[in-house]
Amino acid sequence: MLYTINKSPLMFGNLKSALRIAPADDPILLYEDGVYAAAKGAASEDTIRQALEQHPVYVLQADIEARGLTSLVDGIQVIDYDGFVELVEQHHVVPWL
Amino acid sequence: MSEPVAVLMRKAPYGSVYTAEGFRSTMGIGVFEMDLSVVFVDDGVYALVKGQNPAGLDMKPLGDGFPMLPDFGVSKFYVHDQSLSERGLKADDLVMDVEIIDDAGVARVLESCGIVLPF
Repeated sequence: MLYTINKSPLMFGNLKSALRIAPADDPILLYEDGVYAAAKGAASEDTIRQALEQHPVYVLQADIEARGLTSLVDGIQVIDYDGFVELVEQHHVVPWL
Repeated sequence: MSEPVAVLMRKAPYGSVYTAEGFRSTMGIGVFEMDLSVVFVDDGVYALVKGQNPAGLDMKPLGDGFPMLPDFGVSKFYVHDQSLSERGLKADDLVMDVEIIDDAGVARVLESCGIVLPF
């Protein structure tokens, strides 16, 4: 299952809550304000590093560019809209809104 | 037979429209006799707490509706154990009998459904 997160990790518990449920190896996609979780140096960095030990983590390029995020935690994979579509084709989606 | 559906309830009632809309969707999906699981995680568990009385908000008690859903063909209700315990709640505090499941249990229910509708 592809768990998708669109809320800021510092304002909302969506990321941590999804990570509690998502089984190892299930992919995580950060989009909209969820991409702030990919930022290096943010207070959420430890959370996303732990996530990377168990999950592939993807972040949507248009959303990081829109927010001026340039420094991402190592290991996070940046994907464009085509990559997003591919992920959705390959997995059922759990939108963790 | 259509793909099984999960309604994923994660938000508290009354503060937003999500619980009411999740309930309406659940009833609608049930009427169409689709294979449906309703899963309560995080603040979603508050939707099932006994003794809700939102008269002062001029709203209907949302908790009262869920025990009627089996009449509409919806019988699979799952509640996340940790979400309950973190809120000081037990199964006895809920308006109906549900299956209490752990993290992996929630993941398994979602996995078994092709479609997850988040509320």
